[in-house]
Amino acid sequence: MKCVFLISAITLGLAIAPGASSEDQSHNSEHPHQDVASGASSAATHGAHDHQSHDGHPMEHSGSATGQNGHAALTLTDEIDRALTEGGTPIVADVLGVVCDFCAIAMNKIFGSRPEVAAVYVDLDTKALSLVLSPGSRLSDAEIGELAVQAGYRIAGIRRDEAALGITL
Amino acid sequence: MRARALAAWLLALSLYSGISAARPVSYTGGLTLIEESDRQSTSVLVHFTPAHQWSIGLRGERNRDQDYALYTLHPTWLAKRWFGSNHQGNLYLHGGVGVATGVNGNPLGEDLAAHGGVMADWETRSLFASYRSRYLDAGHFGTQFAHAARAGFAPYIGKTGNLHTWLMLEIDHRPSERISLTATPLIRFFKGPVLLELGYTLSVNQPLINFTYRL
Repeated sequence: MKCVFLISAITLGLAIAPGASSEDQSHNSEHPHQDVASGASSAATHGAHDHQSHDGHPMEHSGSATGQNGHAALTLTDEIDRALTEGGTPIVADVLGVVCDFCAIAMNKIFGSRPEVAAVYVDLDTKALSLVLSPGSRLSDAEIGELAVQAGYRIAGIRRDEAALGITL
Repeated sequence: MRARALAAWLLALSLYSGISAARPVSYTGGLTLIEESDRQSTSVLVHFTPAHQWSIGLRGERNRDQDYALYTLHPTWLAKRWFGSNHQGNLYLHGGVGVATGVNGNPLGEDLAAHGGVMADWETRSLFASYRSRYLDAGHFGTQFAHAARAGFAPYIGKTGNLHTWLMLEIDHRPSERISLTATPLIRFFKGPVLLELGYTLSVNQPLINFTYRL
């Protein structure tokens, strides 16, 4: 019976998990500004590499899904490759709690339904959400955090442009 | 306040006393089909997730041992999700209200039915553990408490979209049954939106067949 009350107290006292905290957001914002210093466009940077794909499976950028800065880099799929070639903006978000394909499906569905998003992929190995925004579109860190919450997850960090491609200058 | 009252009610129900579905809450706007067949009953649940914290579904269940069927409205609340870079944990409260009706010549007719319980799980990409319970009051068809715990591991770690395989053992306890404690070794296959579990319940010689499809 004591156990019952303990479970009750824990359950009823718990808050629903929020999205990325303001601390997270402020932490997130450090990476893009530290890392993005190149004058080269993301599409131009991307175009310097020769990516091969097989049956829609992802290709890792520069031979690794981890960039020069040690963070997860954009995972390339046919769809992401195409969106980058068309001039889209790359974004990589580190996601907490992504452990299975259902998690990946949830993120794909939520982000894929947004008109700003030209391509999306969740890499279970790097726990990273790879996004390419359509040319001229924008999603703020807060919006990305909120979309992740709708999918049932939480963002731990966001990188954009060259930082998303894993390039540190 | 209402949410807390509902949680308390569901939790209280679960403490008096199959069992509910795996992956009971999806992403906002998600639709999920879950079929479960265990040593005693077969059920189908279709649920919709209006917000990431809860889902609402319609559930049908046929108890093969006692020849009655349940049809319930089935809400599930994600009370808490624990996040980590390599793990996820969840605590759910679930319930159901509807009718129980005799099948296969059962003369007991129809009665109101309600059930509720808790579910909890914790997993990484290679380890899994879960617990779930349900108390069912099926009117003049009777009451039942059931709970089960699982542990499992993945012999290899698949990439996104690959076939994922898990080996698991489920221990199920139903105090009101003649054979109250059973063990079910099972294998889980998981690829994209499809999850399939195949197992065999020792002692009672019944198959376990679970299927989930997430849209």
